[in-house]
Amino acid sequence: MPGGRVCAVCGGSEIEVDAARGDAVCTGCGSVLEDNIIVSEVQFVENSGGGSSAVGQFVSLDGAGKTPSLGGGFHVSLGKESRAQTLQNGKRQIHHLGNQLQLNQHCLDTAFNFFKMAVSKHLTRGRKMTHVIAACLYLVCRTEGTPHMLLDLSDLLQVNVYVLGKTFLLLARELCINAPAIDPCLYIPRFAHMLEFGDKNQKVSMTALRLLQRMKRDWMHTGRRPSGLCGAALLVAARMHDFRRTVKEVIRVVKVCESTLRKRLTEFEDTPTSQLTIDEFMKIDLEEECDPPSFTAGQRKLKIQELEKVLSKKLEDVEGEISSYQDEIENELENSRPKAKGVFANLTKDESIEDNSASVCGEEEAQDEELEAAANHLNKDFYNELLNKDRLKKNEGRDCKDGNDAPVWPPALESLLGPLPTAASLGITESIKECISTKDGDHNENAGDGELDLSGIDDTEIDRYILDETEAQIKAELWMKENADYLKEQKEKEARIAKEKELGIYKEHKPKKSAKKREPIQASTAGEAIEKMLEQKKISSKINYNVLKDLNSKGSSTPKKEDDSTDDSSNTKKLSRRKSTVSRNIANAVNSMGKRLRPLISAQLAKKAATEEAVFPHSQTEGPELEKPGNVLVESGPVSYNHDDEVEEEEIEEEDEHCMSALQLMGGNDYGCDMDDDDGY
Amino acid sequence: MDAESDVALDILITNVVCVFRTRCHLNLRKIALEGANVIYKRDVGKVLMKLRKPRITATIWSSGKVICTGATSEEEAKFGARRLARSLQKLGFQVIFTDFKVVNVLAVCNMPFEIRLPEFTKNNRPHASYEPELHPAVCYRIKPLRATLQIFSTGSITVTGPNVKAVASAVEQIYPFVFESRKEIL
Repeated sequence: MPGGRVCAVCGGSEIEVDAARGDAVCTGCGSVLEDNIIVSEVQFVENSGGGSSAVGQFVSLDGAGKTPSLGGGFHVSLGKESRAQTLQNGKRQIHHLGNQLQLNQHCLDTAFNFFKMAVSKHLTRGRKMTHVIAACLYLVCRTEGTPHMLLDLSDLLQVNVYVLGKTFLLLARELCINAPAIDPCLYIPRFAHMLEFGDKNQKVSMTALRLLQRMKRDWMHTGRRPSGLCGAALLVAARMHDFRRTVKEVIRVVKVCESTLRKRLTEFEDTPTSQLTIDEFMKIDLEEECDPPSFTAGQRKLKIQELEKVLSKKLEDVEGEISSYQDEIENELENSRPKAKGVFANLTKDESIEDNSASVCGEEEAQDEELEAAANHLNKDFYNELLNKDRLKKNEGRDCKDGNDAPVWPPALESLLGPLPTAASLGITESIKECISTKDGDHNENAGDGELDLSGIDDTEIDRYILDETEAQIKAELWMKENADYLKEQKEKEARIAKEKELGIYKEHKPKKSAKKREPIQASTAGEAIEKMLEQKKISSKINYNVLKDLNSKGSSTPKKEDDSTDDSSNTKKLSRRKSTVSRNIANAVNSMGKRLRPLISAQLAKKAATEEAVFPHSQTEGPELEKPGNVLVESGPVSYNHDDEVEEEEIEEEDEHCMSALQLMGGNDYGCDMDDDDGY
Repeated sequence: MDAESDVALDILITNVVCVFRTRCHLNLRKIALEGANVIYKRDVGKVLMKLRKPRITATIWSSGKVICTGATSEEEAKFGARRLARSLQKLGFQVIFTDFKVVNVLAVCNMPFEIRLPEFTKNNRPHASYEPELHPAVCYRIKPLRATLQIFSTGSITVTGPNVKAVASAVEQIYPFVFESRKEIL
């Protein structure tokens, strides 16, 4: 009862305010002083779940004071709500994914904070929400140091790892968050647990850790995926403790390719540590460090090159001594051989090149080779002289072939002696390059107008690029044959457009089409409505249509797509049984529940089912896709879910009960859930 | 170790990308039919023309824009572009060679020592990013130069930048950092 308020009519101070009716009335004269009083009380409303929540709207801090005017400023209020909606949506997805990864609440909150930052920096624009969420979660995993890999996330979402990685890198950069580098040691306990070592788990983990540290010292870990190293370390550790874990088992857990694992093992074999026995390894730590394997491979190449150089140098040294032999041999050969050997000379030269390339480093016949090489070296000079003569003769001598054909007998000589071809051929090409480049001339600067500066451009060569009539025709035919499919498609498209034009329905096809409004479906029964909707709507990946279609026929089991090839039979059965019940529940839910419950359940169930469902129908289609990225990953869905099974089981069972009770309430028994039918598919 | 001399020796330019305009509409079909060294990609709407002498692949659009890749130096790129324009002229189009610009240069450099990548990333936090799960190299961005370097643990570095000068200065800039985190040969 507000003090100090006086009735305007009678002047009395006794005014009664009724909060329920929202008016203030003077008890003296009965006149209504106020109507529709605005109260500042908090009101509560009961939820569907039975709890009560306060009535009201959240006003965002960012909103900058845009108050929704009642009834008028609809657009304004919607704008603010959008941001809140995005955040809410994001929070829900984060929790959903985070639960599958078994992250604790603190991590999820941090992830949500990252997400809020990302949204305020407009980083979600143009990116799939799921990608951004996954990136936020992975960022949290990195900062907290949990043993989650980017691969796990991509498994759950069925997205390419590199795409996720790109988003993650961008996010880390924009938010200026420095994610600490991954330590492969973090993954050991997780993988060890999955490999089931039983009591000796601790010991095996310790051994594997020591192995890893050794690998780090030996420079095997830079630039490599940490999971690959873990796999190798665990494999060796397991064997050391008498556990027979095959390569395949380790691969399934660690998610790398078999060849990667083998390669890591061979690299480790090359290190001196591998020579120690088990006991020695546990006690001693070798002091010296090794080079990274790619470095040693590169060094080997360098060494071979250097060896070649040294060889050729040696040969030059010996040259002087052998000059006399050289001259004699030449003379004899000149006399004994027929001269016109144009084509054959080239052929024999080619053959000799092939022979010699194989035996470059053969040091047993060093002396012979030295002889030959020396001869070759002398020949080179000879050769160059000849070439000079040719250059004078032919001005257009451009092709290497022309240069080779003219001096017939020096190449034949060389082929007989079997020289080192590298030096000779290098000599030739170098000289020819010089001859070409001199003809090309200088490149003058372009005139600013854009006129083509023709200096240095030889028209004759360009003319060769242009085909004449017959050639053009042949090429056109070839091209038509090659691209027949594409041309067919184009023709069909044009025909279709022409038809539509005639009928007057022709729509200008724009690259960005907004969703067209569909007419409301008119059907007599729910089943009919579903059928019609199925025809109209795009196929969704989250619903098993077979089950939906068979709803009218009583619970006859419709088999899901068989995907037994990649998975264990036991896992398949477990998960698929759960899946079929879930999908059945979706079907039931969609049919029997009212509109209010449908979005609730479809949102929750669809999401849960989507992850499971998405694995199986997509495992076949995504299989080839997954192998495309550079590193081949053997990804098998169900294995990663093993530890998620318990979590999902409970939640799905709850939904089960929920659905059943609602069904019973509605009284609809037509879509009975026959559990027996699960096995029969 | 004299930093300058080592660095100057090793840089190898492997690719130069440039663009130019012909300021006239080009009939792709005609080019495709009459050119001996062309590939016609009708679905995307472009023609690939490959030259032999400066090893260059050019992508030609009907609007008259041409992109040239595969040259090993800026000079060569310009030379190749001009040859290309000349050959288009011969085919009968009124070609004007304008707006020539080198857009991207890719170079490779080899350090004589190996590099510790995790240490390097830690020391160069905002610029360097290292994801061993995704790519074996550290990606280092130099914003003012607009250059990106990929640093491998073997000491080999791949640099991309808008022109050759930027690439050279990028290598010079990164040398001291890389030198810090090198692996000492025992």
